[in-house]
Amino acid sequence: MTNHWIDIQHSDCVLIQGSNAAENHPISFKWVMRAKDKGAEVIHVDPRFTRTSARSTYHVPLRSGTDIAFLGGMIKYIIDNNLYFKDYVLNYTNAACLVSKDFKFKDGLFSGYDKDKRAYDKSSWAYQTNADGSIKKDPSLKDPNCVFQLLKKHYSRYSLKTVSSITGTSQEDLLKVYKSFSATGKPNKAGTIMYALGQCHHTVGVQNIRTMAIVQLLLGNIGVCGGGINALRGEPNVQGSTDHALLYHYLPGYLPAPKASQVTLKDYMDAVSYKTHEPKSVNWKSNQGKYAVSLMRSFYPEGVGEDLGFGYEYLPKIDDGQDASVMKMIDAMYDNKIKILTCIGQNPCCSLPNTNKVRAAMQNLDFMVHINIFDNESASFWKAPGIDTSKQKTECFLLPASASVEKEGSQANSGRWMQWKYAAAKAPGDAIPAGEIVWRIMEKLKELYKKEGGALPDAIKYINTDFVDNKKHFDAERVAKYINGYFTKDITIDGVKYKKGECVPGFALLQDDGSTSCGNWICSGSFTKDGENLMKRRSKADPTGLGLYSEWSYAWPMNRRVIYNRASVDPNGKPYNPKLKLIEWKDGKWVGDIVDGGAAPLNDEKGSLPFIMSPTGLGSLFGPGLADGPFPEHYEPLESPFAKNIMSGQRINPAITLYNGEKDLVANASKDFPIVMTTYSCTEHWCTGGFTRWQPWLLETQPGSYVEMSEELAKEKGIKNGERVRIRSARGSVEAVAMVTVRLRPFECGGKKVHQVGMTYNYGWRFPENGKDDSANLLTPTVGDANSQTPEYKAFMVNIEKI
Amino acid sequence: MADGKSILIDVSRCTGCRGCQVACKQWNNLEATSTVQSGTYQNPPDMDGDTYKIVRFEEGRDEKGKPYWHFFTDMCRHCVDAPCFYSAEEGTALHDEETGAVVFLDNLTIDNLDSVHGACPYSIPRGNERTGKVVKCTMCLDRQKEGKIPACVQSCPTGCMVYGERDEILALAEKRVEELKKEFPKVHALNPEEVRVIYILTDDDEKYGNITY
Amino acid sequence: MKRRDFLKLSCGIAAGITLSGLGINLTAVEAHAKELTKAERIKKALQTLSVCCYCAVGCGLICSTDKKTGQIINIEGDPEHPVNEGTLCAKGAGVYQTSAANDKRLTKVLYRAPYTDAWVEKDWDFAIDRIARKIKEERDKSFLYKNTQGQTVNRLETMAHLGSSNIDSEECWATTLYARSLGLVYIDHQARV
Repeated sequence: MTNHWIDIQHSDCVLIQGSNAAENHPISFKWVMRAKDKGAEVIHVDPRFTRTSARSTYHVPLRSGTDIAFLGGMIKYIIDNNLYFKDYVLNYTNAACLVSKDFKFKDGLFSGYDKDKRAYDKSSWAYQTNADGSIKKDPSLKDPNCVFQLLKKHYSRYSLKTVSSITGTSQEDLLKVYKSFSATGKPNKAGTIMYALGQCHHTVGVQNIRTMAIVQLLLGNIGVCGGGINALRGEPNVQGSTDHALLYHYLPGYLPAPKASQVTLKDYMDAVSYKTHEPKSVNWKSNQGKYAVSLMRSFYPEGVGEDLGFGYEYLPKIDDGQDASVMKMIDAMYDNKIKILTCIGQNPCCSLPNTNKVRAAMQNLDFMVHINIFDNESASFWKAPGIDTSKQKTECFLLPASASVEKEGSQANSGRWMQWKYAAAKAPGDAIPAGEIVWRIMEKLKELYKKEGGALPDAIKYINTDFVDNKKHFDAERVAKYINGYFTKDITIDGVKYKKGECVPGFALLQDDGSTSCGNWICSGSFTKDGENLMKRRSKADPTGLGLYSEWSYAWPMNRRVIYNRASVDPNGKPYNPKLKLIEWKDGKWVGDIVDGGAAPLNDEKGSLPFIMSPTGLGSLFGPGLADGPFPEHYEPLESPFAKNIMSGQRINPAITLYNGEKDLVANASKDFPIVMTTYSCTEHWCTGGFTRWQPWLLETQPGSYVEMSEELAKEKGIKNGERVRIRSARGSVEAVAMVTVRLRPFECGGKKVHQVGMTYNYGWRFPENGKDDSANLLTPTVGDANSQTPEYKAFMVNIEKI
Repeated sequence: MADGKSILIDVSRCTGCRGCQVACKQWNNLEATSTVQSGTYQNPPDMDGDTYKIVRFEEGRDEKGKPYWHFFTDMCRHCVDAPCFYSAEEGTALHDEETGAVVFLDNLTIDNLDSVHGACPYSIPRGNERTGKVVKCTMCLDRQKEGKIPACVQSCPTGCMVYGERDEILALAEKRVEELKKEFPKVHALNPEEVRVIYILTDDDEKYGNITY
Repeated sequence: MKRRDFLKLSCGIAAGITLSGLGINLTAVEAHAKELTKAERIKKALQTLSVCCYCAVGCGLICSTDKKTGQIINIEGDPEHPVNEGTLCAKGAGVYQTSAANDKRLTKVLYRAPYTDAWVEKDWDFAIDRIARKIKEERDKSFLYKNTQGQTVNRLETMAHLGSSNIDSEECWATTLYARSLGLVYIDHQARV
């Protein structure tokens, strides 16, 4: 979230799209309802009428996988009707920047496309530059190559009629949403967008969110109280686990993963210390070299010198362009290339797409370690239905872990609040915290490598394992201090003396000479110099009256509660909305929330632009960094009811990776699979149900798998509510109970009637025992977004029959 | 007797999250009921010997053909003048003077179910075959006596359920009805003078499913 | 006794006053007093602050732990928490059933030998020794120092790690170091899916 949960209450219009907030983030609705009480319109855009729709001002249905068309139409509406926030767009976005004259868009493809590589050469997407390297701009926004004109031209194609034909949403409903939401493009109004996996789980997932960002930048809704792009994250610490890089493509604090071509630490630092020629840009990422050195100091605190890049040279390096994301991992496993899997608290045999393939791939492992609080389909994959255990080769461990309430540590919520929690009881039996299990394995490996040597032993011998107290129990606060960072020697910065061992009270103090260690720069500042853990704070002080609660826990970065908050004030530092003053430039200093970058307002001689993480300093209406184009464009999902894309000759996202293995079957516009399916969770279960199916109170509320379908489809298929049905896709089939409902309706799309159904992915074979339910992901395709490789769980094709 | 306490349930604010339903089980240490998926979110299908509170889910289309989905968090109304209390044998039920909560005691055995259930205008009392007792919501009298609000009310995220002094709740009910009139012409409170658990409904009573009103 | 009288009495009963001295048969009352013990037990319990383990709203929880048994006896929302203000959804209200109160919790190290059909219980030493040995064998056998272009890559591509976004940040960080020191590149978790 750019903002935070409590901030939703300040919104004048809440657009919930690609999220079922009332069901999957129920407490968010406390704040949505408060906004509604104050007169806000709450709009739910979703294929299905859900508990969220029931409490919204109104619900508008759209066919799964058509969000870019829906929002592209809104961009056109905003521009056509001059509803954008002109001052904001001109000063704080790249609207005025001139793009290369070689930039083109034709029939669904941007310039530079290589059909064989399924990738773009992005050189024609670059900005035109002046002699000093700065970007050429046209503040009149009239140059045909300026971003604003290109944007206008691109979305001129998204007429109400076209959009309606793609989305299946009536033109009347489209207009209603466009009018409501674009009314927030005024200085004293704020609109927020709440989204979740409904936006991400598509082959155009990142571009879905980009479209929202463009809308919000046009309306001046980023950085302001009651505004923002708010990702409702779905796991208790998915923010923290992402921050700490349990992902192949970057290191903690979103530092890019080292590449094979970056041989030395210096090579790496040069590559990640981003450069800018924009005089007013803060370009915070120019500091990433310091963060990298400090990170290495935390990985290898002792015994690894500068000659080895403080340990950088031990790190694994990915090949340029290498994709090691989870579907590639499963491919490698399926092809017998992966021998060992360690897995903590995840259930890939239910949660990953095309689960038949995943389950087959798992059988190829020699060794598997699973850490959890309950058994699940992945820990027990070797005894899944249909497996002959006497022929199943994998050696397996299932290790008992402490539950969340049984251990101390922090979790980062969606609003980036790092909240400390304490252990309420000892875990049952032999269970211990997952962190302690990981530590024990690391310690044992250290011991073995010290004794026996082996492959690159120093990478393991010297890795930081100072994670436990003197009783050898995982000591979360000790680890948290490594994450925050400390001084490795006595130094003086800007006249202030810091002693060796003191905590670094903020990432601005991190150094590139080895004198600071920091396990994750974005968290630096969560401890004071004297070692006070700010994540534990519980003061309800609220001087702005806006519910920032700046002394409750700690929010990264630097306890900022609303990021990009400089965009909430005009270039002189005066709040655009005087009623909701997030920050204000007063008597030569900032008051309110912690301002983004310390500099004065833009118009000041030393002033700076608000988007400090972008080298341009500007909000990106034009996004030249993405794999699949600088403007979001509608493409059909990998599987859809249509052989052609109404928008262009390019049916699917041209930059996605296509999987062509024997299990990677696809059926587009097939009469065998004519029904659009989407998948989701419900309030009473969580993810694959790995925790919740084992809990009697929750299981009684949602005891079994169901597929929601319209009365019209049920009639066509002769299915009655409550009957068991079989759902098939090109890849697999699964049973469920039919839930025939008025809450889904067929769409009129592309000149034909399109049925849409949906089911939850909360079930699996392992529990409840003797049930026939299994994962909805037996149906989903192996395909992901072009940028994030996030699977397309939300739109694919099935058929349904009565059992 | 003082006015006691009341609970307001404004269904226009309910998201059907069932926090109340599970919080009730949690606080009262109630066993889970064995259920099956039968084509509805409503489960257990009704109150039972281990379920004092359920959220009823009812859907349909309004006059304009738009779908609606009503959530009704059903529970004992804790009648001001409680017929169940009068139908129970002396010493098997109590009507707490301070709060107004009506509580069945452990010796209200299952053979009394017919008379107690028959007396209830809202079809609330249930027999628990395992323990042999007649049971229902206690308005968390034990929590109230410790200065805590009922578990269901505490869990409610959106302010659909509000607990307080009866006169304040009655005034709030009136205010809410007034506020909701513009959006929901059919808005009304259910028997506010007769019960302590006062519902505000935004639609016709029969649209909330199998409730007795 | 008239009903009205009982009504008055019952008020006192619920407040926990012992009335057995009044000569009334109070088995029912005593039984009810027993029901009150949960609230009383909570008053005497250790109160611990935690955060909900499901979605990322991050609702505050108060866990009550019986000091004698060491068991969690109740979990409810933290009324002081500025986001949830004491409220919880169905999952949050049921967090108690993730605790030791749930007899389906894993409590033992379980091991399944190849080609066998059941988990068997083992101790931690067995597990850690075996896991470290298996990882080391594979790493020493398959470690890739250089790629096909001769660049140093230090990768172990025959091993993968998944998870987790439902462990604490400090555990995530430790896990990042574990995976990187081994040379893993196949590292992923719920954030992508």
